[in-house]
Amino acid sequence: MSINIDQALQTFIAEARELLEDMENSLLQLESTPEDAEIIGAIFRAAHTIKGSAGLFGLDQVVGFTHIVENVLDRVRDASIRIEGDLVALLLECRDHMTELVNVIAEQGEQLDEAALGREQFLRKRLQAYQGVQAGHAAVVVEPEIESSGASMEGPDNWHLSLRFDREILKNGMDPISFFRYLGTLGEIISIVTLPDALPPVDEMDAELCYLGFEVNFKSDADKNTIASVFDFVRENSSIRILPPHSKVAEFIDLIRTLPEDEKRLGDILVSIGALTRQELDEGLAAQKNPKADGSTAPLGEILVGQRSVEQEVVQAALEKQSQARESKNKENRYVRVQADKLDELINLVGELVIAGAGANLLAQRSNDSSLQEATSTMSRLVEEIRDGALKLRMVPIGDTFSRFQRVVRDVSKELGKDIDLVISGAETELDKTVVEKIGDPLMHLVRNAMDHGIESAEKRLAAGKPAKGTLKLNAYHDSGSIAIEISDDGGGLNRDRILQKGLERGLVQPNQTLTDQEIYNLIFEAGFSTAEAVTNLSGRGVGMDVVKRNIVALRGTVDLESTAGLGTTIRIRLPLTLAIIDGFLVGVEKSSYVVPLDMVLECVELTESERQGMKERSYLNLRGEVLPLVPLRTHFEIEGSHAKRENVVVVQYAGQKAGLVVDELLGEFQTVIKPLGKLFSNLRGISGSTILGTGEVALILDVPSLVQQAEHAEQS
Amino acid sequence: MPIRAETRNGVCHLAIEGEMTIYAAAELKSELVPHLAEPRIEIDLSGVSEMDSSGLQLLILAKREALQHGRILNLTGHSKAVLDVLDICNMAAYFGDPLIISSHA
Amino acid sequence: MAKTILVVDDSASLRQVVSIALKGAGYDVIEACDGKDALSKLNGAKIHLIISDVNMPNMDGITFVKEAKKLPNYKFTPIIMLTTESQEGKKAEGQAAGAKAWVVKPFQPAQMLAAVSKLIMP
Repeated sequence: MSINIDQALQTFIAEARELLEDMENSLLQLESTPEDAEIIGAIFRAAHTIKGSAGLFGLDQVVGFTHIVENVLDRVRDASIRIEGDLVALLLECRDHMTELVNVIAEQGEQLDEAALGREQFLRKRLQAYQGVQAGHAAVVVEPEIESSGASMEGPDNWHLSLRFDREILKNGMDPISFFRYLGTLGEIISIVTLPDALPPVDEMDAELCYLGFEVNFKSDADKNTIASVFDFVRENSSIRILPPHSKVAEFIDLIRTLPEDEKRLGDILVSIGALTRQELDEGLAAQKNPKADGSTAPLGEILVGQRSVEQEVVQAALEKQSQARESKNKENRYVRVQADKLDELINLVGELVIAGAGANLLAQRSNDSSLQEATSTMSRLVEEIRDGALKLRMVPIGDTFSRFQRVVRDVSKELGKDIDLVISGAETELDKTVVEKIGDPLMHLVRNAMDHGIESAEKRLAAGKPAKGTLKLNAYHDSGSIAIEISDDGGGLNRDRILQKGLERGLVQPNQTLTDQEIYNLIFEAGFSTAEAVTNLSGRGVGMDVVKRNIVALRGTVDLESTAGLGTTIRIRLPLTLAIIDGFLVGVEKSSYVVPLDMVLECVELTESERQGMKERSYLNLRGEVLPLVPLRTHFEIEGSHAKRENVVVVQYAGQKAGLVVDELLGEFQTVIKPLGKLFSNLRGISGSTILGTGEVALILDVPSLVQQAEHAEQS
Repeated sequence: MPIRAETRNGVCHLAIEGEMTIYAAAELKSELVPHLAEPRIEIDLSGVSEMDSSGLQLLILAKREALQHGRILNLTGHSKAVLDVLDICNMAAYFGDPLIISSHA
Repeated sequence: MAKTILVVDDSASLRQVVSIALKGAGYDVIEACDGKDALSKLNGAKIHLIISDVNMPNMDGITFVKEAKKLPNYKFTPIIMLTTESQEGKKAEGQAAGAKAWVVKPFQPAQMLAAVSKLIMP
């Protein structure tokens, strides 16, 4: 059981986090469309659900705080208070605090720290302004102590319940017999008298109505509220009278007088079930002469009288209106939650399947069995589809990561006193979940940096003839087997001269060195470089651009920067889609095989004899009038052996740069699984992984970006 | 048809099958009422799987009709569901029929 | 035969806890994540009691209750609505639609169990 509960708690935590994320997005949307009832409804529902579920787990801290937030949201929903900037800001802070509360639960045993408690106090105070009149926490009415009555008039030791139910209760699924069964769990039913008196003649009797009345003698230690609560659901239109033990005889007499049945008959019943003695009854009836018709008979000790039901028509109208609003929101996606490592395992297996499939294919091709070849080719196609499908499972759109920045931009621009718009494009661009997880932090830094240092203050912008409002753009797109993410601002651009000067000061640049603008800009990614004029709150966070670059490189990605003075800066990150499986182009040098990621291959050309001769002096090729730097793999990987009779060039492209890889043989397209290299090889330049061929041989996967870079450098020097 | 009826030796034998709950109440009543004019009625309740207040109420109605017109109405073969309800509502005496108390009370 | 209860709420964790509590008490439990889902689950199993949240995507609790009450097999089935004290209006709407019982969120499993056992015993 406790394991189950623990699992449920994990569900709660995941669910709450998801809801809080939705809540944040909705709140941000609300800033632009404050009247949107659907969004308000969604925000309310998020808080409502969190509170409801938290209550089940006894998470009082979450319930307590969320309750207040929900209260305010409810008032927003019924238009008692209007949405404006301050309120949205406050609600966002509340959301953050709720997130913190949930995190505390997730980290079991941890307590909310002092600062957070302080924040909560402050938030509660600010929420008060919006709460209005406290929704009446129905005060528990404390029943007056029963007066000790005269000894001779002392009543029985048991409770007496006199029940005449709403005729309709059976239709509502409420059965008096069920209540008695439940009552039996609270104490002992000493006696019940069922009164069929109200049952009409056969013809008039409606079998679906409840005509029975009950007088119950009940022994229990339960308190009045508990016993009364048994009948909570049928209070309406029912007459439920509960007399506690030791009620005065006079109260029973009053009871008899208010009930519909005949006085004498009721009296007999009360006597028969032991509520009163015959003597008490007679004396009591004699003492009180009030005729039954007297409507002024005071309600006794414990009478629960139901309220009239709400006007049907009003409710109906409200209901219809509400269901219309809901209907339009019926597009919720359904997801199956899968553990990420299960997915990884699947992808790994599919990888093995691809290899095994390739092996089978190879064998089939060697044989002359055409039906076998056909079978393996069908299988290959299916395996390919499974591979694509499995990989897609792990692909997520970058949009979720991007939209997190709405909040960041909003908060940071307030902090900086700048007015900045975030424009997101390419949100649907998908990339591997593992990459998405790791790109968040570098992106965060770049975004903050662009806002802090990139975009100028409003005065400066106006002076430069630009709109006061700055724009920050996040864009993503697929580009030759990798994903490119751009962060651009329309700020002042980088100050080339100052960067160069800093570079000289820090010894990053030699005085006699001539650098292109591009190279100068890229200096900001060098360790320990900072051009910030003043250390602001933001840049005080201790992450430099060099760390950003390191993180990206660790993901086998690159980062570069373009800047135009006065117009802004664009930082472009390129990341592999980290596909565990890639389409490769297999090439051979001597006895070794190498795989070039196919999407980077532009074309293949065979080297003529004269070109081969020329290569000995220069390492580039004239490719239709274009200079193509060459990387002879034979020299690069220091492969021994005589030169082959023929050599080919595989023209590859990465990030707009081309290079030619000189190889012996072209072995064709090949689907392959990337196996990461061991630590031992982590410093190996030009290799990004390895793979096993269908034949069982190992082939190295070429790291094209680094080879291209190398070729370019070689060419320049 | 939740009620099977047949007359043997001047006694109208009725057997109620299935639920005697609110879902069946209206139908049961309409089937039961035509037989209530019979001078001797015996209702077999051994096939009653479930019973709520509406079922009890119908039996009370039938019994009251019989009593008012000096006819005889007996309940027999009370199933566990019926016994349970008669016990809770303390109505066994009202019907006055012999009950077989099940051993696993 | 154990009585079957349909629990309708968009919160999976709430459903989980409620169903642990109910199963522990001897009831059978079927779960549904919104009104639409719940309606589809009414066909098939015989359900003796329904517990439904008010605020749900796709189809809210009130609409669901109204729809359920239209079904001949469920017109008399007891329904417990999950409301909050800030939703007195919703409670009234639910009652008008046919859900005469309610439990106020947030609640403890024991409270839910008490409400259920007033209406049906396992």
